[in-house]
Amino acid sequence: MSALRKAWTALCPKPGWQWARRGVQAAAIALLFLLPVLARYNNYLASRELDGVMERWQDRSQGQILAATDQALRATGSEEQVFEGNPRRNREELQERLARYRGSVWSVEIAGVSMTDPLAVAESASASKQLRWVLFVGLLLPLGITLILGRVFCSWVCPMNTLLELTDKLRGVLKFLELPPHNLRFWRGNKFLLLGMGILAALLFSVPLLGYFYPPAIFGREIHNWVNVFFDRAEAGAPGISWLGGLSIASGFVLGVMVLEVFVSERLWCRYLCPGGALYCLLGKFRTVRVRRDVAKCTDCADCITVCGMGLNPMRDVTGIECDNCALCITYCEPRALSFRFDLFDPRPQGPGQGLPKVPAAPVPEPKAVEVPERAKAVAS
Amino acid sequence: MKRREFLRNALTLGASCAAGGALMGRAGSHVAAGTFLRPPGALNEDDFLSTCIRCGRCGDACPNRCITTFTRDVGKDFSLAPGPGEEGTPVIFPRRQACMLCQGVPGEYLRCTDACPTGALQKISKEYESLQKHVEMGIAEVDHQICHSYNGATCGVCGRACPFPGKALKIGLYERPTVNPDYCIGCGLCERSCIKYPQAIRIVPRHKQFESQGGTLAGLLKTLLSGTA
Repeated sequence: MSALRKAWTALCPKPGWQWARRGVQAAAIALLFLLPVLARYNNYLASRELDGVMERWQDRSQGQILAATDQALRATGSEEQVFEGNPRRNREELQERLARYRGSVWSVEIAGVSMTDPLAVAESASASKQLRWVLFVGLLLPLGITLILGRVFCSWVCPMNTLLELTDKLRGVLKFLELPPHNLRFWRGNKFLLLGMGILAALLFSVPLLGYFYPPAIFGREIHNWVNVFFDRAEAGAPGISWLGGLSIASGFVLGVMVLEVFVSERLWCRYLCPGGALYCLLGKFRTVRVRRDVAKCTDCADCITVCGMGLNPMRDVTGIECDNCALCITYCEPRALSFRFDLFDPRPQGPGQGLPKVPAAPVPEPKAVEVPERAKAVAS
Repeated sequence: MKRREFLRNALTLGASCAAGGALMGRAGSHVAAGTFLRPPGALNEDDFLSTCIRCGRCGDACPNRCITTFTRDVGKDFSLAPGPGEEGTPVIFPRRQACMLCQGVPGEYLRCTDACPTGALQKISKEYESLQKHVEMGIAEVDHQICHSYNGATCGVCGRACPFPGKALKIGLYERPTVNPDYCIGCGLCERSCIKYPQAIRIVPRHKQFESQGGTLAGLLKTLLSGTA
């Protein structure tokens, strides 16, 4: 139990914002796996024999997952009719409910609310050179959130970011083993350049290319693929679980980025290369929620610089458009000098922190009056 | 040699080996594109490729799971590989699973067209008139050399699978099928049901008929990439 608690504190050292953030990240990853499972369930319900499938796969994890899904969906649904003494599935209602959950982080529909990544919209619109209203229905919510809260998709939802935060822990392990990994730094404008090139390519060649190496899109496709391979194995009667059939070039790309991040450059992808992150940066330029520093409390300890995933410098008020409001610096700030404030503009640099206790200057001893002996006075006079 | 130097060298070597292997694997196995269908309501092939964001929502929505994401693994069974720009797009292989036009499924629209967030699949109602008017995935073609009914036996399975029996697919004397292109929308249920292998009745996809052979930059890119790949 204490080991579990230690692991938890290593992942999430202080309560507050980080609890909420880890929760949202976990939910996003859970949904990535859950939505394709729901699609499979819908398939068996709509056009196969669901009960037969579950019975045949009783001893397999595939069957157990389907059964759990079935129970959860039936428990949350409306009351079921009783047929020959047994409750019967409300097929129509179940299918209508399932139709409102589909997709991945690239483009998702949850409870009937459609959300599409702004990069997907930008690419689709520029490649087809047409503005379809369906696109903007999906864009509404992500765009609104980004305009108000900034680049929060990156820090709160993106599965790649979650994964890379974990690989950052590996860097810590390497440092502990006294094998300090390299930390090459590149020009941050690279990601904007990549975004511009991608949009230009979409305009010229009418093919959206950025989606092929934008991690949220890759994660959506790959995890759908894994889940499909997982269930196809049961359908083919092959024993065991194998996800290797679902590993493709795209998965290799993600793994390659992870390896580079561990050994070559800290947060290489998010800081210097991610085109989607670049678009979120630009959209979040006039965000209303920003990290603010209270100079009176700041002690210039530089903890915020160490924890910042984007490599920014909140200690000298340098956050700019790249801050993703992950609240790590706020959590780790010992004197609680950092906090979220509503503001449209970045603060002016406020200089060094004033929070250190004033050390009183060493008192200068007053020159003592030299006592002149009586006899000397007499001599002088 | 220092430990750090050794590690660095090993890493570089490993990375270059992996990259080389990946490239070799890619270059060796490119197969010429064959046929597949696009989901109902798809735009013209060029427009479709530029509008679709490869999100896979149509595949999630399909109650029959006939829509699959086009990857190398999926295409392998049909000796197909995704061409340039086709990786990740939704396709239907009617031999594996055909489109049942969402009949018997609740909802007013075809599920995949309802799910599409980009308009690459245009929203289409499930009504007969609307299906006839807007859906055109392809047109069935009967191979008289293979078909049982044209070779001394009687079969007629395809006519019973057709969603528009007597209109799109007429079963004549000796259960011989004839296709009426005015009514056939290319759902592929006949191809799926055909008892012969290779199938005597096959769907000729629409995107093959209307594929632009050049003139656009997309076409140029396509020919360039397929020439080098």
